[in-house]
Amino acid sequence: MSGGDIKLVGFLCNWCSYAGADMAGTSRMAQPAEMRIVRLPCTGRVNPLLVLKAFQEGADGVLVSGCHPGDCHYNEGNYYAHRRLELLSRMMAVYGIEPERFRYTWISASEGARWAETVTGFTETIRPLGRLNLAGGGARDDDHHQGPAAGSASPAEKR
Amino acid sequence: MNGIVDTIKNVLKETDLVLGWTTDPVTGVATPARFHDEKEAEQAVFDSTCAHNLAVHLPRLKDSRVGIVAKGCDARSVIELIIEHEVQREQLAVIGVGCGSLLDVKKIWRRYGYGVAIKDRDDSLLIGGEQVNRDEFIQRKCHGCLEADPDIYDVIAGEVTGEIPTDTVRPHPLHDMFVSLTPAERRSFWREQFSRCIRCYACREVCPMCFCRDVCIMQTQIPRWAGGAVDAKQSEMIQLIRVNHLAGRCTGCGECERACPVGIPLMLLLDEQNHAIEEMFAYGAGASLKARPPLLVFDVNKDIWGKG
Repeated sequence: MSGGDIKLVGFLCNWCSYAGADMAGTSRMAQPAEMRIVRLPCTGRVNPLLVLKAFQEGADGVLVSGCHPGDCHYNEGNYYAHRRLELLSRMMAVYGIEPERFRYTWISASEGARWAETVTGFTETIRPLGRLNLAGGGARDDDHHQGPAAGSASPAEKR
Repeated sequence: MNGIVDTIKNVLKETDLVLGWTTDPVTGVATPARFHDEKEAEQAVFDSTCAHNLAVHLPRLKDSRVGIVAKGCDARSVIELIIEHEVQREQLAVIGVGCGSLLDVKKIWRRYGYGVAIKDRDDSLLIGGEQVNRDEFIQRKCHGCLEADPDIYDVIAGEVTGEIPTDTVRPHPLHDMFVSLTPAERRSFWREQFSRCIRCYACREVCPMCFCRDVCIMQTQIPRWAGGAVDAKQSEMIQLIRVNHLAGRCTGCGECERACPVGIPLMLLLDEQNHAIEEMFAYGAGASLKARPPLLVFDVNKDIWGKG
């Protein structure tokens, strides 16, 4: 995968934003390649800790995107998410993370162009900020228990 | 002091036990105690060294009828626990006590030696016979006092002043410094703070709202949110978990910071979050029995914060 130094993580809801991103791809819309997408059933699934953990593990920006308010396929998932995500975005600066590094948006399945625009804009915002390095020199989890060779095996499987 | 003994004796007629304080025979300051009968209740005290929030014991006493001595801040925790169905209002007998700010005993000990005689009178504080400036030795948590007198009680013991001692209320001592930092500086600030964490989990154990106990995700292996290593990174995750799980639930009682043996200013995080929640939802945890925790509900018409 090409792209700059920064790493972005996107938590996308399966029904709207993921389909929107898919639409952007199949429509061959140009977009930066720094974003890694995690597909979730609903933004209501987005535990704010997922976002913070992503930052700790090396993400430089996190984008959460789901269905427009009123369009949630589970009726109300994104309403709960809205409260949590707004609180999280207000707390970012307290944790020592530039607030611009976290964004949440609503993008529907038909809005491929809007996805391309959002992800481009988001990447452009993060690039000048550079690496976050939230965890400081702290070692990764796996180093302590399994040695650096453990690679991509998830610690959960090992236990 | 005499009021508290009689009140506890009375309450014991209808309850299985009463949570209160007694004087520690070694140091002479208050220590939490459980009173089961009149004889034990003779030992009860309430003074300005009763800093502990006894509400932390309630979730583990679900099967008993419990009396609890509660200051204003403790009462907020009691209310929040009732809202979250951790205790039933009917099983509780709340003995309200008025509080005129508490003493930071650890600070006194550090300065004047362990177990030094402390005499706190209305107008003066005597430590080892020496008169000192009381303001200097007030508990940090009292600076953020929201409620000197309990909002919820069945009986009141002693005197209730009815007002917060406003001269003691001021922001966290590190607040002004902290807000002047850039995000990058805050990262280093927290990294430095958390690098001192020894992972004793005292912050969790004294927190009345941390009642998940054995299933706390700070220590689960699957999923492993925080690793076992005692370093700044894992300790930071521990606190991020705590702060997020206390969103809309933290009553600001300040016990976590008081209990922290290495003095990490945890209330900086929680105060900021409580402010954000008040701003967003006009909600303060523990203020009213009728409230619903703001993150468990939503309001389509009011939840408009720009983005869309």
